Amino acid sequence: MTGGGLTALLAVFCALPFLVALYRLDILIFMLINVILAVSYRFLTLAGEFSLGHVVMMGVGAYGSALATKEAGLSVWLAAPLAAAFTGLLALLLAFPLFRMKGFYFLIGSFAAGEAIRLSWNRFRDPFGGPGGIVFIPSPEIPLPVLGMVDIAADPIAYYFFTLAIVVITIVVFYRLERSRFGLTLHAIHWQDVLAESVGVHIWWYKTFALVLASAFAGLAGGLLGHYLGTVNPTQFNLHIMLFVLVWVIVGGTRTIAGPIIGVVVLTVVDQGLRSLDEWRPLFYGAILILTVMFLPHGLESLPRRAREWWEWARHRRQPPVSDDEEPPESDRPPPQDA
Amino acid sequence: MGKKGLTRRQFTGTAAAAAGAVAASSFGAPYVAQGAEKVVKLGFLGPLTGEVAGWALPGRNACLIWADQVNAGGGIKIGDDNYMVEIVSYDNEYLADKSLIGAKKLVLEDDVKLVLMLGGTDAPAAVQFFTKQKMLSTTLLPSDLTPDTLYHLAPAEVHPLYNVTGVEWLAENRPELKTAAICAQDDELGWPSVATYLAAFEAAGIDVVYNKYFDIATTDFAPVVTAMLAENPDIVCLDTAYPDFVNLLCEQLFLQDYKGQIISCTLDFYGRIIEKTSTEFLEGLIFQFPDFDDPAMNEPHINFENPNEFFVNYNERFPDAWSAVTWEYPAIAEMWRLAAEKAGSVEPMAVFASLKEGGRGPHVFGDADWWGEELWGIDNALVGNWPVVQIQNGKATIVEYRNIIDWWNKHGELLKKHTAEQG
Repeated sequence: MTGGGLTALLAVFCALPFLVALYRLDILIFMLINVILAVSYRFLTLAGEFSLGHVVMMGVGAYGSALATKEAGLSVWLAAPLAAAFTGLLALLLAFPLFRMKGFYFLIGSFAAGEAIRLSWNRFRDPFGGPGGIVFIPSPEIPLPVLGMVDIAADPIAYYFFTLAIVVITIVVFYRLERSRFGLTLHAIHWQDVLAESVGVHIWWYKTFALVLASAFAGLAGGLLGHYLGTVNPTQFNLHIMLFVLVWVIVGGTRTIAGPIIGVVVLTVVDQGLRSLDEWRPLFYGAILILTVMFLPHGLESLPRRAREWWEWARHRRQPPVSDDEEPPESDRPPPQDA
Repeated sequence: MGKKGLTRRQFTGTAAAAAGAVAASSFGAPYVAQGAEKVVKLGFLGPLTGEVAGWALPGRNACLIWADQVNAGGGIKIGDDNYMVEIVSYDNEYLADKSLIGAKKLVLEDDVKLVLMLGGTDAPAAVQFFTKQKMLSTTLLPSDLTPDTLYHLAPAEVHPLYNVTGVEWLAENRPELKTAAICAQDDELGWPSVATYLAAFEAAGIDVVYNKYFDIATTDFAPVVTAMLAENPDIVCLDTAYPDFVNLLCEQLFLQDYKGQIISCTLDFYGRIIEKTSTEFLEGLIFQFPDFDDPAMNEPHINFENPNEFFVNYNERFPDAWSAVTWEYPAIAEMWRLAAEKAGSVEPMAVFASLKEGGRGPHVFGDADWWGEELWGIDNALVGNWPVVQIQNGKATIVEYRNIIDWWNKHGELLKKHTAEQG
């Protein structure tokens, strides 16, 4: 996307809060928080590993920030980054056992580690609150000249812009990292880890850095969630929610950073569109997912290319569209390294 | 794919047709009030999908039947006007964020006058919003109540306090029973319920010879039952176990040839348990949730319009789905109707004032007291009579209504002690 396109997209996001009903503003806030979660998750997948513990990392940040503000009396502005850093530190510790595994084993290992953490929130009522979690979590406040301390979580528009700013920072960080030498090395590890290791790439270090950074941003997303809702509990970070993250990333696509963002935005809109169906909603949601995976196995981000191919095919009645199993076009290959 | 297989186009067509049919049947649901008549909307904010849906969806469906019954009877009479009732539901998936979105939608967009909730971990953010908006909301879990939840009521059940009535009845009617074994799942539903049963057994002079939690992920209940029966108890207490657990525990008790007394908080879908065991095995089991076709539901103190008809209608529309929570949501809606008619207004604060007037309210099992400050710091739980239900000839039968507050006044300290011990 061009710089002009990005500016236009940002302008749309800035205008949105003034165009939608108040309750839909909450949907947008949670959608933005989910964008942070999905983009950070995709960064981890660049190293070739799919984790089932990412949502729990979000929970670590949420619980950490909640406890730091409620029990230790820290300001939200200090507590949330500290909790994100703590989440990264925890991910570093988990990297030692987890990165002894690969593929399916890593998937299961990450699930087990995540459940161990999540169940400890359930089990230990002091300090985690047990199944009921922590309530009455303080909101972030900013000092204003005339108004004094203003609670920005009480004003959804203010919180929306605050979250949007964090989202922009997140995207810029991960975008720049992916296009750096570090990002290219992650791609190399993803596709040819043995070859990468044979030329001196320290795979463990690269994977660990990806896990730590992705987890820290997930923790930050958790802090944003907890301080807006005023409550956290173990149910918010269970496997069911993790599956949603996987769905966002897979349906959106993982080839570019736009994929998970598209996944979160489109599926949030779809979910809201199906709300009137109540208990039938999962059926339709599932059908949409199946159809997407069937027709767009590389995710919604590949839709423009597929549409072009279908259009050409329909116009010329020549050969059917290029299969997704074939070599991807140059635009879908790993991005070039920045100068 | 070969020619005989399902092509992608065929699959798409079939899926779209199926989806369309389901959508049509869903959109064609009969509960939406029609025409230019005055309409009052009541919100239902609960998990209609997911693991906890069993505690909300039957209740939402029951509310639709209740609304149909009210509308068929001319609606709600407010002054000179008749209001038709419409139930607007929002599936919060038992998540706090979805709950907050749903709360704002129901209040700000749908203009509902009451929000019915299951309560629990999804509730705090939504209830804070309701309090700011001065919106009347209700829960089935009184543990949601705090001194800050000013307009959040627990008007149907006071779990697990009512369990004391079953133990008290048992002690009076079967004084030969002297020992009990308790098992419960290790979670927020199990802990307070165990404390309550321990207090009730102690008050009744019954020794608890076994009291252990089982893990929430347990699927094999043979060892749990074997360990309980090894203590040779006169009573086996299933605490407030989830419906599947009750089912499996009863099956194991049957298989291990237990012939003693069983007491449980719930006994959902007991017909299925009888199919797996026998009518004789379940005979005499005590629990707390009645069927609404029970003759005792027609007694004059009952605050529910046509309970027998409601039960028949529900079972016709949703066969084999009557459970502990089925009647609680419509019972709250019915209580709201009575209070709104008395207030001459459907506005939340007017109905709230009407409900709380004189410190008493129209609980489904008879007028009751607003109570709870000692436990939750606010008198927003409606507590009074509760039925003791017994299986007699394979059918749930109310054997007596007992007063919960009477028990509390005599033995409240015991409950406080055991609650503190259970953490």
